[in-house]
Amino acid sequence: MSEPDRTTLPIRRPPFGGVSNRTLDGSKPDWNLIGHPEPPEGSPNVLLVLIDDAGFGNPSTFGGPISTPRYTQMAEAGLRYNRFHVTALCSPTRAALLTGRNNHAVGFGSIGELSSGFPGYTATVPRDCTPVPRILAENGYSTAAFGKWHLTPDGQQGAAGPFDRWPNGWGFDYFYGFLGGDSGQWDPCLAENQKIIGTPEDFYDKENPYYLPDAMADKTIEWLHGVRAQDARKPFFVYFSTGCSHAPHHVAPEWADKYKGKFDQGWDRLREEVFARQKELGVVPADAQLTARDAAFPAWDQVPGKLKAYYARQMEVYAGFSENADYNVGRVIDAIAELGELDNTLIIWIWGDNGASLEGAITGSFNELTMQNGIPLTDEMQLQLAERYGGIGAWGGQMMDPHYSAAWAWAGNTPFQWGKQVGSHLGGTRNPMVIHWPARITGTGALRPHFTHVIDVGPTILDIAGLPAPSHVDGIEQEPFHGVSFADSLTDPAAPEHHTQQYFETMGNRAMYKDGWWLAMKTPRIPWVLTPDALRPYAPGIWDPDTDPAELYYLPDDFAQAKDLAADHPGKVAELRELFWAEAEKYKVLPLLATLSAFFGILPPMPDAVPVEYRGDVQNIMSGMIPRIYNHSYAISADLIVPAEGAEGVIVAEADHLGGFSLFVADGKLTHTYSMMGVFIYRQQAEEPLPPGEVNVRMEFAADAAKPATGGEVTLYINDRPVGKGRMDHTVPIRFSAYAGMDIGRDNGGVVDLSYEDKKPFAFTGTVKKVIFDVKPHLSAQDEEALHAVAQHGHAGHGLSA
Amino acid sequence: MAFDDETIDVLIGGYMSKDAAQDDYKAVLGSGGYLHGAVVVSKDLEGNLAVEQTDHMVREGAAGLGALGFVVGLFAPPLLAATAVGAAIGAGAGKLLHRKTENKLEQQAGATIPLGGAGLIVAYPHSAAGKVQPAVTRAVSKAVGEAEGHHVQALKAAIADAQQKMAGSGS
Repeated sequence: MSEPDRTTLPIRRPPFGGVSNRTLDGSKPDWNLIGHPEPPEGSPNVLLVLIDDAGFGNPSTFGGPISTPRYTQMAEAGLRYNRFHVTALCSPTRAALLTGRNNHAVGFGSIGELSSGFPGYTATVPRDCTPVPRILAENGYSTAAFGKWHLTPDGQQGAAGPFDRWPNGWGFDYFYGFLGGDSGQWDPCLAENQKIIGTPEDFYDKENPYYLPDAMADKTIEWLHGVRAQDARKPFFVYFSTGCSHAPHHVAPEWADKYKGKFDQGWDRLREEVFARQKELGVVPADAQLTARDAAFPAWDQVPGKLKAYYARQMEVYAGFSENADYNVGRVIDAIAELGELDNTLIIWIWGDNGASLEGAITGSFNELTMQNGIPLTDEMQLQLAERYGGIGAWGGQMMDPHYSAAWAWAGNTPFQWGKQVGSHLGGTRNPMVIHWPARITGTGALRPHFTHVIDVGPTILDIAGLPAPSHVDGIEQEPFHGVSFADSLTDPAAPEHHTQQYFETMGNRAMYKDGWWLAMKTPRIPWVLTPDALRPYAPGIWDPDTDPAELYYLPDDFAQAKDLAADHPGKVAELRELFWAEAEKYKVLPLLATLSAFFGILPPMPDAVPVEYRGDVQNIMSGMIPRIYNHSYAISADLIVPAEGAEGVIVAEADHLGGFSLFVADGKLTHTYSMMGVFIYRQQAEEPLPPGEVNVRMEFAADAAKPATGGEVTLYINDRPVGKGRMDHTVPIRFSAYAGMDIGRDNGGVVDLSYEDKKPFAFTGTVKKVIFDVKPHLSAQDEEALHAVAQHGHAGHGLSA
Repeated sequence: MAFDDETIDVLIGGYMSKDAAQDDYKAVLGSGGYLHGAVVVSKDLEGNLAVEQTDHMVREGAAGLGALGFVVGLFAPPLLAATAVGAAIGAGAGKLLHRKTENKLEQQAGATIPLGGAGLIVAYPHSAAGKVQPAVTRAVSKAVGEAEGHHVQALKAAIADAQQKMAGSGS
């Protein structure tokens, strides 16, 4: 069979080469007709690993404090790349990784949940930028993705799709993981292919509870075995994208306890220790300077002594969580080795997608969503809330959704400044990469200092697989890759750098790199601060980006960006600033801060506020898709059938005890529990039992006013008769959960009211015929518009923390 | 001067966890300062109340602190602006910068212990303040009231004074 034309996908079948007579007499079959595309002979398997929210200075492989033996094993038998770059945010890096194009150009200027009306921010990949997994699949690869996805808009994560925005639509034959930006590792709400499958049954196994990192490895190995059971030769492409090390930092104590006492020296000293090891390893040049601590981060010495154990435990858990990721990636590698295929498997392992995350603010939090919901808690308050849910020994367990302090993240980004969201500096844009491919890499254990970028990975994979970038897919002319292959650097340490110019932009923080020079243009806003005062300078008509501070670095002489040369080279500053604007226009970066447009009065059309009905068998509605009940009055009504002997269980519940609500029946009485992010818990109960038969129950929340986080009065009704009431002083303004879903007739995953924890999921023992949310009681048109704006602010705020 | 002739101080503290309140309670008991009494009350997430007290005034024949009613103004974090809580900034042209997020949530959460919260009341003669007050390090809201005299009326007045101060602090 001749080599097919792979520039046009799907590959066209060859014309029938046999003979079809009127009968079989003289007829000759053409067996090529029933074949399927195959990649070129010798095309390797590919395992692409992406760790989440981690920094250059985290893994021990790059001098960090976190033990990563499997990563080191791959590096010592492969190559370390110490000038590999990412965007400074989750979805944008993933979009760039999987498309080989700049993130804005494929609609991912921001995170997947956030679609806006500007081309660079739609969260919808254009059809002229076909993703790499689709290209591989069309060329005969088996493709699968496991773990974090984060490339599907928030409102499209249900049974109605559209599924071209789900992993299968991007070209993966199989997907097992979560669609959002983060997930609990104990109680995820998962998707498998094109269905939300919710929290796995093993979650309810107290002796051997479900743990997503383990399950990801199990599922990957199972999938590999399945592929090989069918086809001994077909190469695979596995995208193994861990939820680790993104918050919530969930890991069993035995992993975290390995690090007891290892961080008692604090973040300042930790940076110095890591930096010294980085120089010893050679991943940082000997002449590099460690960058200084910005005033946004407190010195460790300023932390009150009584709180040091609280802070240290945050990092212990993060470290254990990260080491567990190394372990589970190792299990997948072992499985490939056991199949006898490690030699010809190209492993590209990227440790972090945007530097370590600063989104825990300085205090860190027992619940990552407290920050997004604008609840300013001191570190002492955070500690007490941690105590409420088991104490710092339980940090990382099922009762909390923790995030560590931004100062630990800064230490994790050693030797650089800043971190996630800060696209202007290397703390948010430079991460470790290790490549392992025994079949071709001979100078093992070496360092590659080539400037490389996440958009180069796709073109490199295709280059190595011997596949061209298609000019047309599904009849649509394709935009060429923006990245360039660095495949030659795998075998040739003297290979030239191909990637000589790159823009960076995240949340208005910008950089322009060209031929070693790096112009950093950071907005003065501290990344985790979104107050009106902090945003005010960026309002339309006020902000002039060219007046932002500009720093100039020459990276060949200054690995860590420690020496600002802007004052000495004004001409270079001007040149790179102009080049940035040109690149920004070319790649749809403009308008800057489109991600925050909702804060400045640019809002999407108002959605319909009709009552939302759910039948009794609806489960696992993703947290971004629940009815808009925030910040105003609303009512939840349910039609039930209660057996003569009575009933108990959940009628409707969203999320869990760290933020959510549940309308349920306990001890025969209608009960409503509302968790304001685990900080305030409110409960109201009917004063009389639920009668048997067909019953309508209702919970009405009468808000004090249509305003963020409004308090209000709750009234419970049975058949339109008030039977109970209570007050909620504070309500959730933005979002209950980043990942936990809403269920009718049960409370899947973690439960809202811990009084029924032992009975979870506490399914209703009668019948829930339907549940109706009325999200528009008492709202004036003016209120509705104001709340629409608030909802969009919240959406944007969530986006900044995802 | 005998303790009974001194001004009575009452410290009330609010906590988000039982552990924190217990820490301060133990620290107060171990402070070396003379106490008229101390009581710590916590409510778990299911609403069960737990009370622990060392109420010297009971022994002295006066009403115990618990009998005076346990009304502690607990914290109410101000749900300010932060992440987008309605920060409509720059209306269209960006000329008007509104702060819609300010609300009255700084006001006290109420007079009861919330689910998962805890409170502490400590009564002591004013001369013991230098030992007792520094022992209370973990309260997320704290106020000290004082009143002249002794026994129940003075105690009530001191508690009322502390509550008023706590409410006034907006904490």
